[in-house]
Amino acid sequence: MIDAAVDVLTTRYAYALMFVVMGIGMYMMIANENLVKKLIGVNLFQTAIFLFFVAVAYVEGGDAPIVPADPNPGELAMASPLPHVIVLTAIVVGIALTAVGLALLVRIYAEYGTLREDTLREVRADE
Amino acid sequence: MTEASILPLAAVLVSAVAMCLIIASYRYPNVREGWSVVAALTKFGIVASMLPGVMEGTTYYWSLSESLGVEFLAGIDFVLRADPLGMLFAMLASFLWIFTSFYAAGYMRGLDEHAQTRFFAAFAASLSTAIGIAFSGNLVTIFIFYELLSLVTYPLVAHNEDNEARIAGRKYLTYTFFGGGVFLLAGTVLVYWLTSSADPAGNAHLAFESGGIEMLAEAAAADPAIAQAAFYLLIAGFGVKAAVMPLHSWLADAMVAPTPVSGLLHAVAVVKSGAFGVARVILEVFGPGLIHDLPLNVPAIGEVGLNVPVAILAAFTLTAASIIAMRKDHLKRRLAFSTTAQLSYIVLGLSMLHPYAILGALFHIPAHAFGKLTLFFCAGAVHVETHTDYVSEMAGIGKRMPLTMSAFAIGAAGMAGMPLIAGFVSKFYMLIGSGSVGGGYWIFAAALILSGILNIAYLWPVVYTAFFESEDRHDAKPVLEFPPGGKRESYFADDEYATDGGEKPDSGHPQPAGDDDESESKGAGTPTELDDDEYEYAVDKYPSDHTASDDDHTDDGHDDTHNDAHDDHDDHHHGGPPASGWARHTPFSESTWLILVPISIIATGAVTLGVVPDYAVFLDLATYIVEGVFGVESFDELRGRSLAEALEVINE
Amino acid sequence: MSNLAELLPALLIAAPILLATVPIVLGLRFDRTGWSVAAITTTALFAATAYLAAAVYETGRVVHVLGGWGEPQGIGIELVADEFSVLIALLVTVTAAAVLAYTRTGGPRGNTFYTGYLLLVGGLLGLSMTGDVFNMFVFLEIVGLATYAMIASGDGPESAVAALKYLILGTLGASMYLIGVGFLFMATGALNMDVLGEAIPQIADNGGSDLTLLRAAFAFIFVGFALKVAQWPLHSWQPDAYQHAPDGVTPVIAALVSTVSAYALGRIMYNVFGPEFLTATPYLTEIVVTVGAVSVLAGSTLAVIQRDVKRMFAYSSVSQFGLIVVAYGLVTQTAFVGAVIHLIGHGVIKAGLFIGAGVVAVGYGARTVDEYAGLASNRPFAAGSIALLLIALIGIPPSAGFIGKWYIAVGAVEAELWPIAIVIFLSTMLTLAYSARLLEKMYFTPATGVDSPHPAGVATDGGRAGAVSIGMLGILIVTAIVAIGLGFAGGAFFEWLEPFTSEVFN
Repeated sequence: MIDAAVDVLTTRYAYALMFVVMGIGMYMMIANENLVKKLIGVNLFQTAIFLFFVAVAYVEGGDAPIVPADPNPGELAMASPLPHVIVLTAIVVGIALTAVGLALLVRIYAEYGTLREDTLREVRADE
Repeated sequence: MTEASILPLAAVLVSAVAMCLIIASYRYPNVREGWSVVAALTKFGIVASMLPGVMEGTTYYWSLSESLGVEFLAGIDFVLRADPLGMLFAMLASFLWIFTSFYAAGYMRGLDEHAQTRFFAAFAASLSTAIGIAFSGNLVTIFIFYELLSLVTYPLVAHNEDNEARIAGRKYLTYTFFGGGVFLLAGTVLVYWLTSSADPAGNAHLAFESGGIEMLAEAAAADPAIAQAAFYLLIAGFGVKAAVMPLHSWLADAMVAPTPVSGLLHAVAVVKSGAFGVARVILEVFGPGLIHDLPLNVPAIGEVGLNVPVAILAAFTLTAASIIAMRKDHLKRRLAFSTTAQLSYIVLGLSMLHPYAILGALFHIPAHAFGKLTLFFCAGAVHVETHTDYVSEMAGIGKRMPLTMSAFAIGAAGMAGMPLIAGFVSKFYMLIGSGSVGGGYWIFAAALILSGILNIAYLWPVVYTAFFESEDRHDAKPVLEFPPGGKRESYFADDEYATDGGEKPDSGHPQPAGDDDESESKGAGTPTELDDDEYEYAVDKYPSDHTASDDDHTDDGHDDTHNDAHDDHDDHHHGGPPASGWARHTPFSESTWLILVPISIIATGAVTLGVVPDYAVFLDLATYIVEGVFGVESFDELRGRSLAEALEVINE
Repeated sequence: MSNLAELLPALLIAAPILLATVPIVLGLRFDRTGWSVAAITTTALFAATAYLAAAVYETGRVVHVLGGWGEPQGIGIELVADEFSVLIALLVTVTAAAVLAYTRTGGPRGNTFYTGYLLLVGGLLGLSMTGDVFNMFVFLEIVGLATYAMIASGDGPESAVAALKYLILGTLGASMYLIGVGFLFMATGALNMDVLGEAIPQIADNGGSDLTLLRAAFAFIFVGFALKVAQWPLHSWQPDAYQHAPDGVTPVIAALVSTVSAYALGRIMYNVFGPEFLTATPYLTEIVVTVGAVSVLAGSTLAVIQRDVKRMFAYSSVSQFGLIVVAYGLVTQTAFVGAVIHLIGHGVIKAGLFIGAGVVAVGYGARTVDEYAGLASNRPFAAGSIALLLIALIGIPPSAGFIGKWYIAVGAVEAELWPIAIVIFLSTMLTLAYSARLLEKMYFTPATGVDSPHPAGVATDGGRAGAVSIGMLGILIVTAIVAIGLGFAGGAFFEWLEPFTSEVFN
C-alpha cells in the first residue's frame, strides 16, 4: 500500500502535483470572498490542467516535438505534439476568459464600489 | 366494414371552427350565440348523418397518416373513427348541445355575466373535444382529446374569477390532469409497451377492437402484472372524470361554474367522457373476457377478476355519494353528488361484465344525461329568476316556477329509476345483469336498489318543498338542520320567516305526514343522523371531500368567505323568497323562452327514452355495441345466459 | 454529394465568426448596422443549414475535414453534419434569426451586442458540428464567452454579477470537461470522435488501468456538462443569469446555450462512449438517471415558489433538462429520440416563453407572477401565446412538449426503470403546478389597482419605452404556433433520426 503510494509519488509526481494545484485553485474559487482572487483561482485551476496535459505528453527521454532538419533522422524519441497544441489553444481561451472576467470585475466595482462578495451581498440585499 | 370519410373529423372540427368565429364576433352577442347554435345544429347533423351507416355496420374513419401522410408518433396514427360506441356518446353530446346552447344564451344574459365570449368559446371547444373523445380510434387519440377537454373546461370552472372559482379551478386542474396526464398516459404507455413487445414485428397495437385488443390479450398472458397495472391505471385515469371515489371531490367544487356548464359538461360531456373511457377500456381495450380471466391475487380471498375491485369501488361510490347528497343544502352540490352516484351506476354496470349489465350501463349514459340535464337546467332557471340556490329556501317555489319544478320532478323520478322515465330502463337491465351473474354479485344488486331508494330520499324533498310547502310554514329539513335523532318540533323556528310577527312556529304543531315519510326514508340506518357536526363527519368519513378544499383555503389565506358546501347561509348569498312570498306565475311567464323551451324538450326526451326506449335510437345503439363486444349476431343469443356462458360466447 | 454541401459545415462556423467583426468595423462610421448584419447573416445561415439538411437527408452524413488532413484518420479536425447535428444546427439558426425580430425594437442595441450575437451563433454551430472532443472544448468556451458578454450587456449592475457567477462556474464546467478529454486522450491517444468510438469498446473489453481512465474521463465530462446544462445541484448560476440578462438575450441563451450543451453531452455519451460502455459500467446509468430525476423534482419545486417570471422559467429549464438527462441515462433508442425531440421542443418553447416575458415586461410592465394579473384582458395576444406555450410545456397534446415526453416515457418503461417512469409521469403535474399559477393569474385574476413597481416600458436594456413592435408580438405568436405544430411531427422526428439511432444502438 505504502509502496504503491510511494511509487505513484515518485513516478507520477507531476499528476499528483497537478491535482494539488487544481485543488488550491478550486478552493480559492469557492471560498475566497474577494472576486479578483476568485478569478485567480479560476486561472490556477486552468493552469493545473495545462500542466497535466504537458505531463501527459511527456515521453521518457523524448525531445521537443520539432521537425528535425535531417530528412531521415531514424528513430527519434519525442514528446507527443498534440497535447502541446491543445494547451496552446487552451491558454488562448483562458486568456480571453480572464479578460472578460476582469472586464466584469471593473464593471462590478464601478457599480458597487466593492470587490468583496460578502459586502456585495449586503449591498444587493439593501437594494 | 370500414370506410374512410372526412365526417368524423368534420364533426370534431365544427365547434373548433365555431370557437374561432365566436371569438372573432365578440362585439356582437347575437351573432356570437348564433354561431353557437349553428355549430350545434351542424354538428348534430354531421353526427346523425353517419348514424344509418353505423347501424348497418359501417365504421367511418379518418386517419391523419392516410389523409395527410403525417405520422403522429412513431407507429401510432391519429385516428378518428365513428363506431357504435362512439356514436352513442357523440349523438348524445351533440344532441344535447343544441338545447344547451339556447339555454346558455338565456342563462348568461339573464345573469348579465362577464366574459361571455370566453365562456361560449370554451363551451364550443369543450364540445369539440368531447366529440373527439367519442370518435377516437385508439388510446393515444383519446388521450389527446381527454387532456384537451380538461384544459378547455378549466376556463368554465374558473369562470367567476373569484377566490372560490379559482380554488375550484385549481382543484379541477389537479384532479383531471392527474387522471389524464399521469394515470392515463402511464396506462397508455404500458399498453404500448406490452403490445409492441408481444408483437413479433414490434408494432404497437393501440387501436380499439370490439371485444378487446387481441395482441394485448397475448401480452397479458406473458406478463399479467404489467397488464393489471395498465388496466388499473387506465381505469383510474378515466375514473377521475367519472368521479369514482376517492377521485370524485373535484366534481362538487366544479359546481361554482355557471349552470349550463354544470349541466352539459359536468353531468354529460365531461363526466360521461370518463364513463365512456371506462367503457372503451373494459369493452374494447381489454375486453370482458380478458378482464374476467386475468387473475388478481387478493390475500385471504383468492383470485378474483380484475373487474371486481372496480365494481366494489363503484358500488361504494354510488351508495356513499347518495348519502352525502342528502346532506347538501346547495341544490347544485346535491345534484353533483347525485351525478357522482349515477356515474358509478355506469361504471358498476360495465364492470359486472354481464351483457345485460353492460347494456344497462351503456343505456344509462343517455338516460342519466337527459334526466340530470333537466335537473340542472331547472336549478339554473331557479337561480336566474330568483337567485335561490339552497333547498331550504325553496319552500313554495312551485308557484313561482311551475313548469320548471314540474320538469324537476320528472328528472328526479328518472334519477330514482321510476318506471316510464329513462332511468328505469337502464337500471332494470343492470339489475337483471347483476342477478344473472350470481355468486357474490347480489351485493351489487342490493347496492343498486338501496341507491334507488336514497335517490328518492334526496331528490323528492326538493319537489315536496317546492309544491307542498309555503314560504312561511315549511318543514325543517331534519337531515340537514337537526341534531342526530331530530327534534321534537318540526317547524323551523326562524324569525326570518315569521314576518307577520304572529305565531312563531313551535312544537305545538302536529307533525305533518310528509315529514314523517321523509325522516323514515332517510332515517333508517343512514349514518348521517349519527353525527351532529356535519363538518367533522365529512372529514371522518370522506376525507377527500373536505380536507382538500380546506387546505386550498388555508393556502390561499386571504379570503375567509370561502363557500363550503356545508356553510349554508354564507354572506354572498341573496336567495330565498322575497319578503312578500313568491309571486304566482304561469308556466309561460316564469322565465324566458330561451330557458323554458330547452327544459321542456329535455324533460320530454327523458320521458320518451323511458316510455318507448325501442324507438329512441340509444337503446338500439347500446344493443348493437354489446352484440359487437360479445361477437353475436343478435342480442337474443345472449338472453338468459350466465356470465360464464356469455364470456364463452366471446371466446367462440 | 455536392462540393458545396461538403464545404458548408466549415462555412457555417467560419462565416458568423468572421462576420462578427463587421458590426464593429462598420460601427466606426455608421450607428446602426449591427442588426442588419446579424439579420442577413442568420438568415443566410438558416438557408445554408436547410440546404445541408437536405443533403444529409439524401446522402447521409456529410463530413468536412479541416485543412484536408484526412489521412490518417483522426489527425485532422472533422466537422460532421449528420441527422443529429443538423437538427440542432437548424434549431440554432432558426432561433437566432427569429429572436432578431424581437431585438430590433426590444433591444439590446448597439453594434457590439450583435458582434457577440454572431460570435455566439458561430460557437453554437461549431459546438453542434464538431467531430473532435478537444475542438468541442474550444467551441464550448467560445459559446461561454459570448454568453457572458451578452448577459453582462444588461443595464443593471446585477447583470454583471450574474455574468461573473456564470463565468466562474461555466469555466469550471468547461475545465472539468477538458480534464475528461485529457483522460480520454491518455487512454486512447485520440481526440476524434469516430476514432474514440471505435477504440473505447476495445478498451472496455480489455479492462485494466485504461478502463479506469475511461471511467474517470466520463465522470469529469459528465460533471462538466451537468454544470453547463444546469443540473441540480450545479444549477445555481442559471436563474441569476436568465433573470438579469436583457430580455432580448434570454430567449437565445435559454433556447440555445444549455440545449446545445445538452446536445454535446448526448453526442459524447452515445457517439464517443457508446451505449455498451454506458450500460456495462456499474452505477453509471443509475447516477445519470438520478441526477436527472432529482433535477426534475428540484427544478419544478423551486420554480413553483419563484415570484419573478423569468426566474421561474429558469428553474423550469432545470427541470426540463433533467428530463433530457434522464432520457440519456435510460440508454434506449426511444428514450434517446425523446431526448432529442425534447431538446428541440423545449428550445422552441422556452425561446417563446422568454420572448413573451420580454414583451410583457416592455409593454405591460409586469415582471413578477403577481403583476401578470389581468394580462389576458389587457394584452390578449401576448397572454394567449404565453398560455399556448405553457400548455405545450406542460405536455398537453398536441404540442412539442408532449411528443418528447411520450418517447421519454416509453423509453423509461422499456428500460423497466419504474421509479424513473413515475418521476417522468409526475413531471406533468410538477410542470402544471407552476404553469397553472401563471395561467390563473393571467386569465382568472382581475388586474389589481396597485401600480406596478416597474413602470411600463423601462426595459432593462434601454429598449424604446413602452413600444411593443409588430415584430416582437409576431415572433411570439409564431413561436407559439410552431410549438403546437411540432406536436404533429412525432413520427417525422423519429424517422429522421432513425439512421443515426439505429447506427448507435446496433
